Amino acid sequence: MSTNAVVAVAGLSRHFGTKAALDEVTVSIPHGSVLGLVGENGAGKTTLIRHLLGMLQAQAGIVRVFGCDPVADPVGVLSRVGYLSERRDLPGWMRVDEFMRYTQAFYPKWDEQYAEQLLEQFQLDPTQKITTQSQGQQAKTGLLAALAYRPELLILDEPSSGLDPVVRRDILEAIIRVVADEGRTVLFSSHLLDEVERVADEVVMLQQGRVALQGRAEDVRGGHISAVLSFAEPQTVAPILAGAHAVVGYGAQWRILFGGSRADLASAAASIGAQVSGEQTPSLDEILVARAGGKGS
Amino acid sequence: MTVGRLFWRTPTGGILWEIWGRHKMNFARHGGALLASLLCVRWMQHGVSEVTGAVLTLIPLSCFLGSYLDLLTCFGCIEMNARTVQIGFPGRLMLKPVSTIQLVLVPMFFGGTAVVSVFFLWNQVILRPLGHDIPLEPLWLGAVLLSFFWWIQAIAWGVPLFPGRTFITLLVAVTHLLVGFCPFMPIGASALWRWLLVGSMLLTAVLFASTGLKWMRRGVWEGPSRLSALWRSSRTRRARLIPRRFGSPFLAQCWLEWRRWGLMLPGLAGGVTFGITPLIFVARKRLAEPSSGFEFERITLTLMLILPLVLASALAMAFGKMDPLQPTGELPIYISIRPMTNGGFVIAKLAMTLATSALTWLVTFAAGGFWLTLLGDGTLLSRASSLTPYGFAAFVVGSIPALCLLILVTWKNLLTGMGVGLTGRTWVSILFLFSRLTVGIGLLALLFEASIDLSLKETLLRWLPWILMICLVFKIALSMAAFRLGLRRKAITGGVVGWIVGGWMVCGLFVAGYAGLVCHALHRLDIWSWIALAGFLALPLTDLAIAPLSLAWNRHR
Repeated sequence: MSTNAVVAVAGLSRHFGTKAALDEVTVSIPHGSVLGLVGENGAGKTTLIRHLLGMLQAQAGIVRVFGCDPVADPVGVLSRVGYLSERRDLPGWMRVDEFMRYTQAFYPKWDEQYAEQLLEQFQLDPTQKITTQSQGQQAKTGLLAALAYRPELLILDEPSSGLDPVVRRDILEAIIRVVADEGRTVLFSSHLLDEVERVADEVVMLQQGRVALQGRAEDVRGGHISAVLSFAEPQTVAPILAGAHAVVGYGAQWRILFGGSRADLASAAASIGAQVSGEQTPSLDEILVARAGGKGS
Repeated sequence: MTVGRLFWRTPTGGILWEIWGRHKMNFARHGGALLASLLCVRWMQHGVSEVTGAVLTLIPLSCFLGSYLDLLTCFGCIEMNARTVQIGFPGRLMLKPVSTIQLVLVPMFFGGTAVVSVFFLWNQVILRPLGHDIPLEPLWLGAVLLSFFWWIQAIAWGVPLFPGRTFITLLVAVTHLLVGFCPFMPIGASALWRWLLVGSMLLTAVLFASTGLKWMRRGVWEGPSRLSALWRSSRTRRARLIPRRFGSPFLAQCWLEWRRWGLMLPGLAGGVTFGITPLIFVARKRLAEPSSGFEFERITLTLMLILPLVLASALAMAFGKMDPLQPTGELPIYISIRPMTNGGFVIAKLAMTLATSALTWLVTFAAGGFWLTLLGDGTLLSRASSLTPYGFAAFVVGSIPALCLLILVTWKNLLTGMGVGLTGRTWVSILFLFSRLTVGIGLLALLFEASIDLSLKETLLRWLPWILMICLVFKIALSMAAFRLGLRRKAITGGVVGWIVGGWMVCGLFVAGYAGLVCHALHRLDIWSWIALAGFLALPLTDLAIAPLSLAWNRHR
């Protein structure tokens, strides 16, 4: 584990009944970086985040945030963390200003000017009850409360959910950039991988509770090739190719997503009598779908 | 196409069909309850023992109350919007191509008819044979009931976004209670005036509902209108009333606790006292006993003294939840992520429960006192003030420590079981209730046996101080172990432990001191040490020591 790491998780496992939600997960987030946590539904993203916040106790493994155990020292950890929940779990009965004042009381570093600025930027009515807000407005209220005390670590669980594309692009990107530029650390989970690609320095892909991929976004993409396999004769079943995460097509033409170098792909294709053409670097979205969907069409 | 099918296609038929479709199981239950009550009444008419009679009386009365309250919800046409959590007129009906007045009148007409006719049915078939019918002119009672039902609908439909709606509803309920019982009031009103009053109440309910619903349909409440602007400015004014910032996280958490739970117990205790007292008066009056005035006052005072304590015990585990609207016992995320120790959350709850206990007694005495002044003849008060030789003022001053004791016992009842509620796990609550029930039944059986077997009674009395002391030592040891564990796990701080232990000692000494005073006055100083020990034993220490650990178990799952 790196000593510079804001978040250090090693060998974390968690079971709910017989289902393994997290299985030997090891993740490290260095100071000042933006980490995108991706994966299909039920991959374990929210479970991992809940461990970081101390809401879940590790059954096996170690969780450290700022070098502290979030379960043993919730005050020490939570005073430095800003969190936006996926479920937008806000007190619907409070008005926005009441929620701000309630939250402010817990954080001595609360920046009133910044909070007012965000309130204006998000166009929120401070006298409106949270329960009467739209989904997008609730997301903004939650985001405001998570940002206004300038936390050292910002955890956003599916922040895009409920936001329209314009707000998503402008607000989220700006905030994440600002936080990261100021040397703060951001962890955010998302289904929208184009968003992750745009803003994340590093990507962790969870699959069925395990870390399937981890690294810089460009490295992850660079480690995969999307290509077309051409056969002399039409194939009745999908060809089996070692290293291929997805094989889709019919007849003599099959599109594959291959994990490895171009040389590996060429030799693997040659071994089954196919020729490679149309090689491209796939998007993160394609990689996730291929890995989650399994092989074959 | 049959005539029946055509009927269902009219808006009126549609609304009726919806009531039937949604609540047919409830109607079946109502039928079953009525039938069961009828059987009980018939059984009692054939002659039963006194105890069986008392139990049998409770069944039809509970069935009536349950069914009637359920009926109000079936025919009220009032629903909660799942997204906004606002209670009001069903949104889907507002989109129907039907005039607003029709939308208002159809549910009001059918609901009113159902509510009044079902009441008379129960009154005639069940309550009258039991001797519990309300001795008011049936037509008058029906009209007041109808007006009350319509006003409840009108408020729910007409002003769904108004924050003072609860207060208005309360005001309407009180007004109807006063109007309904005005034939018994010392200030008499002629029949014509009474009927004019009820007639105007019925008419205004319809007008209020239709205007409110019309505005709602047009979006006047939320849209860009003068009303909306007025509304917004009043909200802003109110927003300025709350403090600009809280002095500490503890104060912020206390504020949150108060907003969620603070008024629940005072509202319930005060409301029930206010609602039940006139009924007691009517029941006493019907018996026409010479001492009916004193009897009424005595029963009212007993109700006032018992009700808050019983309600506090019943609500204790629910108070363990941070938010009553939270569907599960799990700690809400917006609270869970706050940098506050579990002990800090518990202390905030303690402060809230103390404040709510004090307010409960004030409200209960105000509600009971209101009716006692209006309907009673002051017999009880004159007797009570003669308890001391120094007159009424000395009696009032002497009552202050008793009031403090009542507040303390209510507080204690609210806190007992809070640790269980804080775990957020249903099975723990069930286990706790079961163990309490077992211990309670065991103690009752022991007391019953002791009342028969004199030698057992003597043995128990001889050993009682020792039993109490052993229990107290065990309680302190258990609490110390819980505090130690809490401190080791950082669930609690030394300061919080100090507050809890200090508070327990002060409250215990207060109970012991007060018991000493009373025992001295009654010349029974021999039992003082027992009461003092029992006081220390009953006051919550272990519950509070365990509470932060319970919360930690809920917070860090």
